Amino acid sequence: MIQALQVRTQPPRYRWRIVAGGGLLLAAVHTLLLHRLKLGDFTPDLYSVFALYLGLFASRQGRYVPSLALGLIRDFFSLGLLGSYGVLYSLLHKAAGRARGKLDPERPLNVFIMALGGTFLVNFGYHSMLALSGEGIGWSRALARCASVAAASAPPAVLLYPVAHYLLHKLRVGRSGGYWNI
Amino acid sequence: MRGSQEKLSLAWFLRHPLVATCILLALTIVLPYLRVGERLKLLTFLPLARAQGQVGGSAYEELSEDERVRFDLQRERDRNSSLASENARLARALLDLKALGGPDFAASQLPPAINAQVVFHGDSSNWRHSCWINRGRKQGVSDGMPVVAGRTLIGRIFMVGDDHACVQLLTDPGFACSCLIVDPDNPQQDPESRVRGVLRGDGSAMPHFPRLELEDVAVGAEVKPGMYVITNDYSGQFPLGLAVGVVREAIPQAGFLQVRIEANMDLATLEVVQVLQHRRPELEQQALQLMRKK
Repeated sequence: MIQALQVRTQPPRYRWRIVAGGGLLLAAVHTLLLHRLKLGDFTPDLYSVFALYLGLFASRQGRYVPSLALGLIRDFFSLGLLGSYGVLYSLLHKAAGRARGKLDPERPLNVFIMALGGTFLVNFGYHSMLALSGEGIGWSRALARCASVAAASAPPAVLLYPVAHYLLHKLRVGRSGGYWNI
Repeated sequence: MRGSQEKLSLAWFLRHPLVATCILLALTIVLPYLRVGERLKLLTFLPLARAQGQVGGSAYEELSEDERVRFDLQRERDRNSSLASENARLARALLDLKALGGPDFAASQLPPAINAQVVFHGDSSNWRHSCWINRGRKQGVSDGMPVVAGRTLIGRIFMVGDDHACVQLLTDPGFACSCLIVDPDNPQQDPESRVRGVLRGDGSAMPHFPRLELEDVAVGAEVKPGMYVITNDYSGQFPLGLAVGVVREAIPQAGFLQVRIEANMDLATLEVVQVLQHRRPELEQQALQLMRKK
């Protein structure tokens, strides 16, 4: 109890370094690497997986604004409207908060389900924005693509979340009630 | 009561994320009209693009005479090798251009072109497709200009900086272009009877000889596999006769024909492209052209 109180009163650690570093690294991975693998529609959306991680495991203060910032970083490296991913990730952290109340995110199966749903919703939301600006590709095709991206993103999430936990533990970031103090 | 006394500050927005999200959403819709987003993105992208093609500066003035000579010699050697590789790339592009020579449309005159090298491909979103080239406003590139490799359409200029520009590839969902379907076995076909359609990018995640689709093709139009798809100058955005791809199949749908085509170019391996100095004519000029045709 005392330890939990101590963690809560500590200032957040590495928040902006994790957001900026992770955002830039994943933007580089998406921009320069993933499209070379020629995975087609089954290209994983690792950026959304990372945004979901923040939504699920960051402390209360480390969710909304970092998710928004993460989305804006992605927007800066994309041709789409500035703010599209910013809006989507800020909504994703809300959805992640609700999902966390019902499913334990420490279980791999639950992580798989949440990553599947989260990446699907982000991609579907992005296509909805494209459709609003007259650039949609058709809803049936978009649904199929969102499902493919979600199916490709969920397995890496199951593998990457324990790695992220391990790295944060190594960085000596405090953890209370399952939330990292970032 | 306490809430009504709260001052509207950044901290207030941070405590009310949904309000801030709604404002951001509104800005997302309004800002594209002012192209603020594109300008901001250029600020982020350009240092990356510059870093690709620049060598760090050295204190040239501080060097001795011998060191300067050695330095100049090394610089000229580097320049020679880069010119040789550029020459090889251009020779390859010229070969591609010759290989693409086909029916009569390929003989039509194209606007003057600016050669450019693709600095890097890719986009952080899975849905968008773009690449960056090392030519910009200083070299005469401006928004909306068509980008080709040989005579094959690649995309159009989307954002321009002083020395770099962003190209929206034809697989991007925001890309649209009026096209004609021509029969290579019947080059003397009456231009008025050629089949027309609109090419739209579908964000295809596989830019390796992507499969594209032509929309709004009238039912009953004679479309056979093997026919060429070329750009139409109907909207004035692209010149007539740029190659796009080859028809693979035509599927009848309710009220229109869905034409699937295979692109001529592997967009993932682009190295040298040409920016055509073609500007969309004003409305009055388009009207005059139409009257002359009639």
